[in-house]
Amino acid sequence: MMSPSNQASDSAAVGTPFLELRGVHKRFAGVHALRGVSLTIEAGKIYHLMGENGCGKSTLIKIIAGAQPPDEGEIIIQGKSYGSLTSIESLSAGIETVYQDLSLLPNLSVAENVGLSEQLVRHQGRLAHALDRKRLRETAQRALAAVNLPTTAAFLGTPVEDLPIATRQLIAIARAIAVQARMVIMDEPTTSLTRREVDNLIKVVEDLRQQGVAVLFVSHKLDECYAIGGEVIVFRDGQKVRQGPINSFTKKEIAQWMTGKPIEDTRYRHVTAAGEPLLTVRALGLRSAFDDASFVLGRGEILGITGLLDSGRNELAKALAGVEPADRGGIELEGQSVSLRRPVDAIQAGIGYVPEDRLDEGLFLDKPIRDNIVVAVLDRLRGALGWLNKSESDQLANKIIADLQVATPDIDRPVKSLSGGNQQRVLIGRWLTIQPKVLILHGPTVGVDVGSKDTIYRIIQRLADEGLGVIIISDDLPELLQNCDRILVMRKGNITRSFRADNVQEGDIYKEMLAEGISKEAA
Amino acid sequence: MMTTSTLPIAVKSAPSRSWQVMDWLVRRPSSFTLLLIVLVCGVVGAINPTFYSVANLFDILRASVVLGLFALGVLVVLAAGGLDVSFAAIAALVMYSLTKAVVQFWPDAPLALILLAGAGGGMLLGALNGLLVHTLSAPSLIVTIGTQYVFRGFLLTFIGTELFMNVPPAMDAFGKATLLTLNTASGGQTQLPAFVLVLAAAAILTWWLLERTLMGRAVFAMGGSLNIAERLGYNLRTVHVFVFAYAGMLAGVAGLMHVAANRLANPFDLSGIELDVIAAVVLGGARITGGRGTVAGTLLGVLLVALINNVLILAGVPSTWQKAVIGAFIVLAGAVFAIRRRG
Repeated sequence: MMSPSNQASDSAAVGTPFLELRGVHKRFAGVHALRGVSLTIEAGKIYHLMGENGCGKSTLIKIIAGAQPPDEGEIIIQGKSYGSLTSIESLSAGIETVYQDLSLLPNLSVAENVGLSEQLVRHQGRLAHALDRKRLRETAQRALAAVNLPTTAAFLGTPVEDLPIATRQLIAIARAIAVQARMVIMDEPTTSLTRREVDNLIKVVEDLRQQGVAVLFVSHKLDECYAIGGEVIVFRDGQKVRQGPINSFTKKEIAQWMTGKPIEDTRYRHVTAAGEPLLTVRALGLRSAFDDASFVLGRGEILGITGLLDSGRNELAKALAGVEPADRGGIELEGQSVSLRRPVDAIQAGIGYVPEDRLDEGLFLDKPIRDNIVVAVLDRLRGALGWLNKSESDQLANKIIADLQVATPDIDRPVKSLSGGNQQRVLIGRWLTIQPKVLILHGPTVGVDVGSKDTIYRIIQRLADEGLGVIIISDDLPELLQNCDRILVMRKGNITRSFRADNVQEGDIYKEMLAEGISKEAA
Repeated sequence: MMTTSTLPIAVKSAPSRSWQVMDWLVRRPSSFTLLLIVLVCGVVGAINPTFYSVANLFDILRASVVLGLFALGVLVVLAAGGLDVSFAAIAALVMYSLTKAVVQFWPDAPLALILLAGAGGGMLLGALNGLLVHTLSAPSLIVTIGTQYVFRGFLLTFIGTELFMNVPPAMDAFGKATLLTLNTASGGQTQLPAFVLVLAAAAILTWWLLERTLMGRAVFAMGGSLNIAERLGYNLRTVHVFVFAYAGMLAGVAGLMHVAANRLANPFDLSGIELDVIAAVVLGGARITGGRGTVAGTLLGVLLVALINNVLILAGVPSTWQKAVIGAFIVLAGAVFAIRRRG
């Protein structure tokens, strides 16, 4: 699949430029986000846009998608030059942008999410037109079939909010197919997908490419980019620093161009702790989500838990944090039985939980960094008359951001002004304020760039060295292999196997994750 | 060529059996409204069998017209993720100033022209709401709380404060026109007024706009998510102006219906009806946070509120308690619809 395609379809000649940017500049209040970017996207090719957070990737995409105008420069689409685009112009020109949130309308049906854009584009964004329901249905069916989703009336009528994330991802791609996009931009499309779902996504993308569609991925997952192939475009500080076939570069080279400094890609875990049992989980279960989960976490140990999306790993994590309490089994912390019915129970017991979705479940985005850090210990910081003691909370917050190297000029800034990696550090910092015994990290580096990952891994290691028990729930296997002492694999709600992380191959873990799923699907 | 096997699609957390009934209700919120209507009818009818009469049915329909026109407007705004509380003020301003102008300058104006002027006036005032909401990107609840004071203040300061009963003959005749006259068991007569047709027409128009036009889908798209709708190329300014102008138009017509039905124009009328209307729309299954709602559900909600407002007295419930019943139903409906989020 990596061979240069010579089977161009009749619709577009592979290799002809579809989109060209020339000397594009963009400045935001004091920040020069794009500094003279020029690049060419050719039909029927796959591109990976890579770079650390804040390198200008998102700005570039917004300019191409018509969400923001450039300050200077030219955008040329199939020979036609534009100074700037509106979203409807970008869509009409055949550019479909799938943002990280997928840009799906949760309340509308599958058919509408897939097929409405096509009618909107056909009418150039003018809304005074009757809805062509037959066309909507047919367009949706055709596009859904192309991504292997059902085309039944029941599925077409399902509101998108009732569907799992992997299906939504494919629906967003189906929308691109429905508008007959010539170029599809996907912003971190695999972040919340399991590997099997990613494989399916890659197949769909390859189909698109063969039909002459240009695909631009934005991703932090280097391994996946190699698996997909195509060209890599590396950005740093608002400039394109490199472009070329991804397979002619090593991971290390790409990481260095992105960060501008050498990165070590080795195992972070060096000592294997043999501390006494800290957290003992006995036969924990919740409805049909998971069953009979038993394991022991030692003091200073880092335990990884992985599995497919439906394996129960997410539910187990939430049960340990008291977010969605288990309905059977028991949990002991330092030999004492604890009951985790609500998040506050876990906090009081000394269990910190950094959720997977830090934007929705973890952070108060508009609130200052300080408030986000001290929110778990408000009781302790209460001064006379119940007012919050400001100097003490400032002290605590400043200590945490220094400790975790959060890059911010001051703690009064809102959390949303930080990059993903720094937001994650604020969230970890919040739980350090309760002086936890156990820290549960759910997808700790989702949407975090290479440089920031490195810092977070070092923090995790240091915490374990200080005697904390750490549980990492993740489907990023290299991450678990680099950081953990042991890795538990879950499948269909059960913990099926435990590996020692220092002598196991990624492939073995993956096989264990899939084992039953494959045989069942073949049947 | 890749092999094509359809992926298994798991719908998020299949509900356990005990939740299925609830789930069914929540998916079809208007069935819950219907249930409440049946419940109220059953209870009132059991206590006072004379409740089951055509006269009562006609009374409820008559009382539903103004409420229903307002509710359809609120539904459209709510579907787009906004909230309008200025409709009653728009109705009062339009009905009083228009009626007064017609009486003064052209007493014999034809009905169609009066209706058209009312619709147009309401539309303009509503469009002003829409423009303000869009350009200020302020919460529409706040904006319309503001404009409704402005509209009412303008009405009472510049147009007049005195009620008058010499309404234009065309409107008087329209208010008296009947669709159906039946003899009641007690020997009297009961009439179904012709202006219920206005509500029917408005309902059909609203349904068509919401379900059968691109604009209607854009309304729901915006109610689903403002940011995403913008990214997908929907013109939010157009949608904002449309929904508020449409609600304003229905409010203008509702105001005239109020005058025609009561054969008097009182500038102090129609205040305090706002919450009844929003209650009806929410009881009809529309989501208060936007993006969900149907015309059929809204009509059922209107029927329910009109029913409670008009017939509880037959069951010996003091009229002061009507509001409490509506309130209890809203809390109940809120609880039922909230279960979906948790389940």
